[in-house]
Amino acid sequence: MEIFVQQCVNALSLGGTYALLALGLAVVFSVLGMINFAHGEILTITGYTVFFSLMLAVPAVLIIPLALIVAMLAAAAMERVAFRPLRGAGPTSLLITSFAVSGILQVLFQNLISARPRPVPIPDFLTGAFTVGPFHIGVIQSLSILATLAMVGLLTLFLKRTLLGMAIRAAAVDFPTTRLMGIRANRVILAAFAISGLLAGVSGLLWIAQRGSVDPLMGFLPVLKAFIAAILGGIGNLTGAVIGGFFLGAIEIGLQAALPEPVQPFRDAIALTLVVVVLLYRPQGLFGAVHSVRP
Amino acid sequence: MTNGSKPRSGRVEINRIVDVLLPARTRPAFGGALALIAPVALLTVLAATLFGASEQRIAMVFLINLIAVVANGLYSGNSGIMSFGHVGFMGVGAYLSSILTMTPEKKAMTLPNLPDFLAAAHMGLNEACLVTIVVVGLFALVVGAPISRLTGSAASIATLAFLVIVHSILIGSKDFTRGSQTFFGVERLISFPTLLLWVGVAILVARLFREMPVGLELRSAREDELAAGAMGVNIFQRRLAAWVVSAMLMAVAGALLAHFLGAFSPKKFFFVDTFAILAMLIIGGIASVTGAVAGTALVTVVMELARRLEEGPILPALGLPQVFGLTQLALGLGILAVMYSRPGGIFGLAEIDHWLFGRRNDDASNSEATAAPFQPESVAPASGRELQAVDIAKNFAGLRALDGVSLTLRPGEIVGLIGPNGSGKTTMLNAISGAVPPNGGRVMIDGTDVAGQPAYRIARAGVARSFQNIRLFKDMTVLENIEVAVSASGRGGDLRAEALAALAELDVAHLAQRRAGALAYGEQRRVEIARALAMKPRYLMLDEPAAGMNSAETQALMGLLRRMRDRHGLGLLLVEHHLELVMQLCDRIVVLNKGQMIASGTPDEVRRDPVVIEAYIGRSHEKTHHPDATTTERRGS
Repeated sequence: MEIFVQQCVNALSLGGTYALLALGLAVVFSVLGMINFAHGEILTITGYTVFFSLMLAVPAVLIIPLALIVAMLAAAAMERVAFRPLRGAGPTSLLITSFAVSGILQVLFQNLISARPRPVPIPDFLTGAFTVGPFHIGVIQSLSILATLAMVGLLTLFLKRTLLGMAIRAAAVDFPTTRLMGIRANRVILAAFAISGLLAGVSGLLWIAQRGSVDPLMGFLPVLKAFIAAILGGIGNLTGAVIGGFFLGAIEIGLQAALPEPVQPFRDAIALTLVVVVLLYRPQGLFGAVHSVRP
Repeated sequence: MTNGSKPRSGRVEINRIVDVLLPARTRPAFGGALALIAPVALLTVLAATLFGASEQRIAMVFLINLIAVVANGLYSGNSGIMSFGHVGFMGVGAYLSSILTMTPEKKAMTLPNLPDFLAAAHMGLNEACLVTIVVVGLFALVVGAPISRLTGSAASIATLAFLVIVHSILIGSKDFTRGSQTFFGVERLISFPTLLLWVGVAILVARLFREMPVGLELRSAREDELAAGAMGVNIFQRRLAAWVVSAMLMAVAGALLAHFLGAFSPKKFFFVDTFAILAMLIIGGIASVTGAVAGTALVTVVMELARRLEEGPILPALGLPQVFGLTQLALGLGILAVMYSRPGGIFGLAEIDHWLFGRRNDDASNSEATAAPFQPESVAPASGRELQAVDIAKNFAGLRALDGVSLTLRPGEIVGLIGPNGSGKTTMLNAISGAVPPNGGRVMIDGTDVAGQPAYRIARAGVARSFQNIRLFKDMTVLENIEVAVSASGRGGDLRAEALAALAELDVAHLAQRRAGALAYGEQRRVEIARALAMKPRYLMLDEPAAGMNSAETQALMGLLRRMRDRHGLGLLLVEHHLELVMQLCDRIVVLNKGQMIASGTPDEVRRDPVVIEAYIGRSHEKTHHPDATTTERRGS
């Protein structure tokens, strides 16, 4: 029972990280119809921001806001520099472009910073655990669950209550008409990227808090999982992305707990295969893909 | 046919076999493939005879990459789904073929836990390649089943997941692969003749695949899935075919690479190589084999220069720091440059044969067309033969777009489907044709219920349609557009002759070699009707065929539709705002309003029906009044 509860916490925390990344991918996809392959590099940039802030002795309270702002700016800059020149191009062109951007950024990190992992010291209170009745629950795990819930809540409020948020939702349904209503396309797209950057920043913070180091390729694996979570939930579907993320987290932790030792090396393969089998029966994902009218 | 006993009929037989294997329409492509192989062969001969050892290695890597790039292009280019996973097949091919060619003694040392049949196996490289092709082909068939059901970016991501799956299986299967450790002891059996042989096979297969019915139909799905389905294209099956064939070629590339390197680890078949191979493909042009070959050559040269710059003395001599990963940087920037300037890659959709032999000109197509007049499938109007939609219901998130609408279309009659905008006419067409499955009701074709079946099955059962907002396969030629319909509907004989005949029927044979997306609006409408006719349907549903036509063109269209009905017993369902045309042409008219049928009968009956006048024509009772919303209904596109 004790182990089961702890595994559930682990699953929620891992799933939450995937969910935030998948949500960021889905926001951009819903507006532009593009999968941003370079989403993982935002996560890496967040990690390096923390690393350099610590090196330069930036006050602790500023590090998290700073990292999140850098993540948002990085995502917005990516849009402005790499993707805006391709406005109106098909999804494949955008996918390929982001793929190249991802490769270029990785080489830059390797050369300008270091090819090797850099340590990020994690404060003790984060690595500890607290006790509730018979259960020991990790601080980081709890934080990441809380952060996920908070971000999903904030995003929901933003999308439902603000003009820009509503414009993003409208653009996800029918971009040309949204523009006819007097909304500037570039603002909507920039906002979508900034949001995806913020979400990637939060999940980046959670990710390095668990790993304690940053390296040039650290974004690849979690974002790959987020891609999977996003198509599992139904590509471009925000609710689906969150649930897809939690679903994938649950599968991975479940397999980790359930598989016998000799089969453990195949865990990733089995998890991904399970997802693919789900897609075999629901090609549009669990909650249905979102197809919209695009510029 | 016994050998040489009947030489004359033997030759006829050979000609017939050649005609089947290589129909006239694919011969230019065959020539084009040879034209691509020729310079590669020349390079191979030069490399084998004149090059030094290090240049020979570069040439070998180029030839292996060429197979991989062409193979990936066969899938990604024709399907329009960028695959990040093909290097996984290369990995499987590399390990499997190596296990097959290594001597049992060596295997006993390095891989002591191999199952007996693999431990004992010992064969030459080409034999091992053949075994690998078969095994990887079967593997690809299993993996491709779910992936081929996905669309667009979701499918691309699934191929990426596949790459990760294969990578972790290669690492996990220690008994077969030594896990993440280096797999060594593979004999370097590679030779230039072997390489050239497989390069030739890859280029030939890829180039012909593009022109063969399977490739033609797959490309149509790349252009427009909905329209492809309506032509009868089984998209899933076509994608799966391309996936399996390209996986087989990829496995050969992997096998050859293994026997070139001699030692490798799973890392070799992961992201770095995927990036390089995709860069070659993207820079040259995803959709064309010529582009794949050119891109591979160009990128190989650039990569080699970058590698020398990275390792050589030039950068330090200039006072610049060493840059690691310069090749990846160069490839990334190369991709960006191509995306910003020529998103289709250097060659776009062009193939070398288009220049060498030209696209067949108008005269030829005209003469062929007149030689073979269009012959739709004749249907004798008999009892029980009819297209019957019963109680069709369709909801869109709370909106009841169709509420129990029924209509019957018999061979040899023209039925009009009219109603104000938003009354559900196009939804009715979509429900019947399977583009949007209905929530309730039955669609009976000659007594068989097909409601809810995929669109391609309904199309093959004899129901063709056109689209309100024209959906041609824009990046294919007009002729190819029609050939898709002939091929996918499964009725045609000779694709080209049938397609030209259908074009001639609509007086657009002279447009055969034009790119469909470049045609004027009226021409596009006519080509779309020709495409539907080329399916030789028994029931044809046209969605506003006269929209955008002038009165002379409309008259011609009416003549054509009558001719189709009278001569060939075609049943026509006509959605049209042009009331005059509907009243003149139709035997019966069904009127929809707000998703319900409010009237049906002969044109005279409908014209006099007060409910129709109220709902459709309006109080003013102007016969020629055109509801102005032809423009509002054509949003999107």
